This record gives sequence, structure tokens and C-alpha cells, in this order.
Amino acid sequence: MSVALLFAIAGLTAVGIYLITSRNLSRIILGFVLLGHAAVLGLVTAGGPPGEAPIAGASDQPIANPLPQALALTAIVISFGLTLFMLALAGRQQTLSGSDLVEDDLEDRRLAARAERAAALADLAEQAEERDEQHEEST
Amino acid sequence: MWALTQIIAGGTESTAQLLWVDALDIGFEFRIDDLALLMTLLVSGIGTLVFINATGYFSADAGGGTRFPATLLAFSTSMLGLVWADSIWTLFIFWEATSVTSFLLVGHKNTYADARNSARRALVITGAGGLVLLAGLLILAEQAGTSTISEMGAVSGAAATTAAVLVMIGAATKSAQFPFHVWLPGAMAAPTPVSAYLHSATMVKAGVLLVAILSPVFTDVAAWKWTGVAFGIASMLWGAIGALRQNDAKLILAWGTVSQLGLLITLFSLGSAKANFAGMSLLLAHAVFKAPLFLVVGEVDVRTGTRDINELSGLRRSMPIAFGVAVVAGLSMAGVPPLLGFPAKEAAIEAALGLSGADRAIALPTIVGGAVLTVAYTTRFLIGTFGGSGSEATEVAERRLPMSIATVSLGALSVLGYVFAPAATSLIRAAAIESNAKSEVYELIRWPGLKTAFVISVIVVVLGAMLGWFVAQRSVRVPDTIGAENADGFVDGILNWAPRITAAIQHGSLPVYLATMCLAMVVATIPLVLDVETGHLVRWDSAAQLALSIIMVAAALAGAFVGSRLGATLTLGAVGICMSGLFVVHGAPDLALTQLVVETVIVVGFVVGLGALTARFPESTDSWRGIRLVLSLLGGAGVAIALASAGATPAGSPPIDALTNGAVDVGGGKNIVNVILTDLRALDTLGEVVVLATVTAGVLALARVVREEGRVDGVEPRPGGLMISTPSPTVETAIRIASPFAVVLAAYLFFAGHNNPGGGFAAGLVLGSVVILRTVAGLPRRTKPRRLVTVGTLIAAIVALVPIVAGDPFLDMYVASIDVPVFGKIKSGSALVFDLGVTLIVVGLITASIDGLSAITERVVSEARRTLTSEAAS
Repeated sequence: MSVALLFAIAGLTAVGIYLITSRNLSRIILGFVLLGHAAVLGLVTAGGPPGEAPIAGASDQPIANPLPQALALTAIVISFGLTLFMLALAGRQQTLSGSDLVEDDLEDRRLAARAERAAALADLAEQAEERDEQHEEST
Repeated sequence: MWALTQIIAGGTESTAQLLWVDALDIGFEFRIDDLALLMTLLVSGIGTLVFINATGYFSADAGGGTRFPATLLAFSTSMLGLVWADSIWTLFIFWEATSVTSFLLVGHKNTYADARNSARRALVITGAGGLVLLAGLLILAEQAGTSTISEMGAVSGAAATTAAVLVMIGAATKSAQFPFHVWLPGAMAAPTPVSAYLHSATMVKAGVLLVAILSPVFTDVAAWKWTGVAFGIASMLWGAIGALRQNDAKLILAWGTVSQLGLLITLFSLGSAKANFAGMSLLLAHAVFKAPLFLVVGEVDVRTGTRDINELSGLRRSMPIAFGVAVVAGLSMAGVPPLLGFPAKEAAIEAALGLSGADRAIALPTIVGGAVLTVAYTTRFLIGTFGGSGSEATEVAERRLPMSIATVSLGALSVLGYVFAPAATSLIRAAAIESNAKSEVYELIRWPGLKTAFVISVIVVVLGAMLGWFVAQRSVRVPDTIGAENADGFVDGILNWAPRITAAIQHGSLPVYLATMCLAMVVATIPLVLDVETGHLVRWDSAAQLALSIIMVAAALAGAFVGSRLGATLTLGAVGICMSGLFVVHGAPDLALTQLVVETVIVVGFVVGLGALTARFPESTDSWRGIRLVLSLLGGAGVAIALASAGATPAGSPPIDALTNGAVDVGGGKNIVNVILTDLRALDTLGEVVVLATVTAGVLALARVVREEGRVDGVEPRPGGLMISTPSPTVETAIRIASPFAVVLAAYLFFAGHNNPGGGFAAGLVLGSVVILRTVAGLPRRTKPRRLVTVGTLIAAIVALVPIVAGDPFLDMYVASIDVPVFGKIKSGSALVFDLGVTLIVVGLITASIDGLSAITERVVSEARRTLTSEAAS
């Protein structure tokens, strides 16, 4: 296994993770493509050392493992399709909100706000209770 | 409601009669032995009387309708199921069912916050106890090798000890043992018939019953005995003290119940045959005296409107029947002859005397002490409720017949039990034998004579009466129930924290979700660090590989930090080309070819899609860039480690020879990768093209929405019209000339694919590029994405299905020799047709995407232009 390839895979993964955790939808798609590359490269790397092209009878030298190549080909095409779909989604987001930023889920934020409000109310009630107790003690 | 209650009551009674059959097996999981029979008698008998009483307790307009009898009946059923259960599953289900019905009954007055709170508290404690019990039962079943309780032999060992403690805790929560007893006084918010039935006679006995049933199984486990005795003694004393400190007559009884249950648990846990027999006697006696006491309090409550012993006065004259019943039952509780409570208590003291060593040193003083306190709170209860001079007598409403019937019948049982002691003995003894065979020698003794136990009894009664009278003379300040707030606070805490936790976990931020997933991946790779070996690693396979890797990572990095969207897209193209180069170096020409064309199309897609966006990325405002950086580096390292460790331990050598032979012999092709895709593993490919077709449908749908929204004055904008704003004759001509060549190239790739690099995917991608070029230049084209994808999918499906019609396996490919000009004679067949379907779908997908993206971009751009124009006009 080649350290150069491992380095390439690690680099692509790192940049991919950095990009998909961004708030910008086109950066997320970029990151997705890079992660796809890393995965395909990982498949091929794990499949064994390089060799001649896997064409039967074309060469006397040992050929590269064809099985991961078939898997990788499928993976490339699938991530290709998904990338196009994500681009269309990003465009749709643009027409709806005027930017391609990923907003937080509104319902979830609403729930969180409710929890915060309830907590604040509980705190207030507690404080009021304490005040009452102090008042009672002082009188 | 009257009639309904009566009918229900009758039904319960007949069921009880039906069960007077010895050891009746009525189902796989049920078994009725003599112990169950005794409990059945209590559940059904007291149940019937409670139903009758309830008709008096609830006046016609009291509300609740049929809800009360229905719930009470549901409880009866659950309780009977619990009593009859013979497998831990059945037992647990009915155990929980009684908790739930108890919750409903305690919260019967659901308009009162107090009742709701109490019901919730009871449910939380008994429900949590139920889970502990389940854990204990599961361990027990594992140890005993069976889930049928009657088939379990004695268990021992560490696991058995755990099981014993867990089961005992479960029993303690149900039977309101200290410190879990806090729910029982709260449960007094329930209507009094419920308290009489559930919280004195039946449900709270479930824990005691469980201890009795499982005592033979845990006989060798020391922890069982000591946990039980600790629970029991603590509850017995604390409950009795609690009873002396209450002013509510019903609460006095409730705390008394805690105490009595403690005594029962103690007796059953001790393990001696005598204690076992005494426990059974008390079980029966307690049910028979505590239920009427509760019912009497209920009657007092209904007729005077209060249960506070400081307010009640002179009731012994105004409520003579209730008073009589209370005296009889109360004296039975205190253990005074000639009532059933006397021989039962006598047996308990005898049992304590019969012990030896530490057992006796602990049990005897506590049982006697508990008995003194019992007499004391009984005395105080009677004096407080019914005493007082007639001058300030409480006003009393009219007597209600059903209530009196029930209380008198139940009260009479204490007398009858004493009078017919031999009959009671046989009933108790039969039940006692079930949990300890040696109990058969004991009996209820009506008049023991001057024995030690009797002397102790006399002292107990005298001391207790004096103490009770003394306490009754002074007003007691009711203490706060220790622990009740804790239980409520626990529930409130859960309710408070639940939305906070949800808000924290389900925060709705996509980046954080993704970061969490990546973090999980990183954590998963940590153990793999140990498997990494350097032996199989080489620095690089070729210089080209090293160079390409470095350039690729550099390009990716540049793409991540460049501010211009177009720049980022171009670095993406660079990365793709490096990928392609790496594939060439690795010996994967098919991958290289596909990757190259894919990258081209994606870059074009980005450029087309980016038209709708600002030229530069918006200024980054995110505050957690540092975390993202660290996470990325860890993620990259993690993947590298995982791969390196995987390479260190290969599962075997790759099946290269098998695949090569398979490609030539089965698939009739030399390009192994292509044969795998179209023949050997064609099912994968079929799934893949379905994904592509679905994606196409999705893109088309998105584009249609945008197009319909963006239709201006009913005119649909021309697709691709904005791609090159000023038509360029040079570009147009170049594309016109290039197109036929590209089509020929695609055809070559398509046919060559079987023996040389190429294939359906590559051909489709090249054809798709032609479509893109013509679209961008605004040249006419006749490709309809929807039709392409439909035809492609159909072709693939037909190729897949025809073999089935012909009697061959699904997706079986036929090979034939075809003469194709230029290529000469090639061996191929249905795999080629299958590949044609793939090609058509890929072309359809690309066309749909470009159309869709340009439609979206066009819409955004034209809107922006309109805004500009209108601004300029104004």
C-alpha cells in the first residue's frame, strides 16, 4: 500500500470534512465531491497494488485487481448523479431564499426556544419563591 | 351507573366462585395454587364489597360516569392476572398493568392538581420499580433456566444475589416500603373505595406476594433475606411513627399500611416456616381489617365532609354502625382477642421468639416495637375519629345503605375469622405450604394461655394503648413527607430537561449534525491504530503517483480556501484530473476515462448552477472554524489509519484469475471491469441505473417547479439562452464541427468497451458532453431527457427480465458473435444491449441536469435583471 495514496486519501477526506461542515451549500457540494473521490481512491487502494490494465490477454505482467475498479466505477457514477441533484437543490434553495446558505431547521429552533423559555420561567418562579421565603423570614 | 356497578360487582363475584377449584391450570402462563387462591379470594371478595361501597360513596351527581367502575374492573382483572401468573412474563405484564390502573384510579379526580401529582408520583415509583423487577426476573430466569416460576429450583451465586436484590427492590416499590413508601400517602388522593381496595388489600400486597412466591427460589441467597428484612423493619417502624404524626384519618391508615406491609415483608423474608405461616395469617387478617377501616373513613368523609381528626367529634353517637365496625376492625389491627388480628399477631411474635441468634436479636425487638406503635396509632385513630364530647359534635349527613353493607360485611370477617379459626387455618396453611412446606404444622390459636408470646401481647396492648391515648391528647404538627418532594422533583426534572435535551441534540443545524457524524467516524477508527503495521507500506508506487497525490491535495486545499466560486470550481476540475491520472498510473483505464468525463460534466454543471449565485462566497462568519479544522485533520488521519490497518491484514488474495477466466468464458469479453459491470455483477449496475433514473426525475421535477414559477406573461424562457450572452460564431462553428466527432468517439467507446477500456458509462458521458456543448452554445438539439431515461430503463429492465421468460436466471446474459465494421468480429450479446440502456440513462441525466440548472439560473438572473430595470426606471 502506497503512503502517497494514503496521503492523498487523507488529504481529500480532511478537506472534504472541512467543506461539508460549512454553512454554504455550494461548499458542501464541493466537499461531498471530494469525499466521493476519497472513497473511490480508498476502494482502489484497498484492492491491492497497481498493475497492468485489467484486459485479459493484453499483457504478461500481473494486472491490477479489477473487482474494486468495477465497484469504484459504480461509485463514481452514483456520486456524479447525486452531485448533479445537489446542484439542482442548491439552485432551488437560491430561488426560494435568495442565498445558498443552509439555515437551521426552523421547527427545531422553535422547540429549542420553547425549552429556553420554559427554563427561564422555572428560574423566575424559583427566584420568586426564594424572595417570598426571605420576606417571610424577615417579617 | 348504579346498575352497571352492580352488574360488574356480580360478575366479579361469580368469577371468584368459579375459581374454588384446586390447582386449576387455566392457561399456559397461569397457575392457581392455594396461595393464588387465597389472593384471588381477597381480590374478588373485597373487590365485590368495594364495588358495592362505591355505589354509596359516589352520589348520583358525583361525576366520573362509567369511568370509575371501568377502571376499577380493569384493575381487578390485572390484579387477578398478577396473582395467577406463573411465568415471569405474565407476572411482569400484569404487575405493570396494576401500576397503570392504579395511576388512573389515584388520579380519578383529574381536575385536582394534587390528585394528578400523586398519581404521577405513584406511577413513577412503581413503574421504575417494575423495571428493576424486570431486570431481576430476567437474571433469575437465566439462572434458574426457566421462566416458569413454579418450575424454578433454588438458585445461588453472584448473579442470583443481584437478581434477589433487584427483585426485592421491585417488590419494595410496589409494597410501599421505606424509602419508596412516599407514593402511598399521596395515593390517598384517590377515592376511598380505591384506597381500601388497591392501597391496603390488594395491589400493595403484590410485592409481599412476590416475596412469598420467590422465597423458596432465593432460599440460599443471604442478600435476599437481609434486603427484605432491612426494607421491612425500616418500613414497619417508620410507617408506624408516621401514622402517629398525621391528623388526616385516612393518612393515619395509609401510614399504618406502610408499617403493616413492612411487617409482612419482614416475616416472608426471614425464611423460617413459622414466620412464613405468620406472614400468611397477617396477610389475610390485614386485608380483612384494613379494608373496612378505609371504608369507614370514606363514609365519615362523605357524611361529614372532613377527615381531620381534630375537627371530627362525637361520631360514636351519630354514626354508631360505622363506629362499631371501626372498633372491631381497629382492635383486630391492634391484635386484641377475640378477633382475627390477635392470633395472627400472636403467630408473628411466636415466630420471632422461635428464631435464634442474630435473627432473633433483630426481629424480636423490632416486631414487638412495631406492634406497640400499631396499638398506639390504632388507639389514636379511634379516639380522634369517633371520640370527643357530644356538645360540639360534627354535623352528619344521612346514612347510605350500600356503604354500611360493605363495611359491616368486611368488619364481620374479623370476628368470623376468629370464631372459625380452624377454617381460616386450613386456608392459610394451604397457602403457606406453597412458599414453605414446613409451615403445615402451624395453626391459628384462639387462646394460647399464659405463654411468653401472650404475655408480650398483653404488654404490647397496654403500652400501645397508653402511648396512643397520650398522643391523642395533644395536637400534632403534621411533618412534611420526606422524599415526596424528591419523587416529584425527579419527575419535574425529567419534564424540564426533556425539551432542553431535545433542543441540544436536535438543534437543527446541518453542519453540527455532519460534524457529529464525522466525529463518530473518527472515534470508530481509534481502536484500529493498534492494527497498523508498516511492513506492507511502500513510500510510493511511482514518481507520477507521488506528484499527482501532492498536486491533488494542494488543489483541494486551494479549493477550500479560495474566495471565488468559479475558482473553487476550477480547483475541483483539477482534483478530478489528478484522480484520473492516479487511475491511469494504478492500471485502471476505465476509471480514468470515466472520471475524466464525469469531472468535465460536473465542472460545467457547477458553472451553470453558479450563474445563480454571487461570484464570491459570502464572508465566513462561523465561529467554530478551529473545531472544523481539527475535526478534518482527525478525519483524514482516521481514514488513513483505517486503510493502513486494513491493508495489514488482507482477508485473502484477490480473485483476479477467477475474474479473468469468468470474463472471457462467461461474459465473452476481455475488459474484465466492463464484463463485471454488465454481466457478472449486472444486478449492481441495474440498481445503479435505477438510482440515476430517480435522480433525473428529481432534477426534472425541481426544474419544472422553478420554470412554472418563473414564467413571465405565460412565456417560458428558452432553455440555455443565457449561457452565452452574446452568440459567438466561432464557438458555434467549433461546436458544430466537434459534435460529429464526439458522437463517433462515443460509439467507439460503446462498442470497444467489451474488450478495451470504454463501455456504456463512458459513452453516455461523452454523448452527454455533446448535449451540454450544444446547449451552452444555444444550438438546437432534439434530446428529450424524460424519453431517454424511460427508454434506457426499459431496455435495462427487458434485458434483465427476458432470461426469466426463457427459463434462465434473472439478468443472465447471452453471448453471440457479431461482426461489426472497423472492430472486426466481437463476441458479445445481451450485455451490449444492457449497456445501451445505461448509456441512454446517463445521457438523459446529464441533459436533464443541464436543462434544470440553466432554468434555475435563468430565473434568478432574469429576476435580478427585472429588479435592476425597475430601480433604474424609478
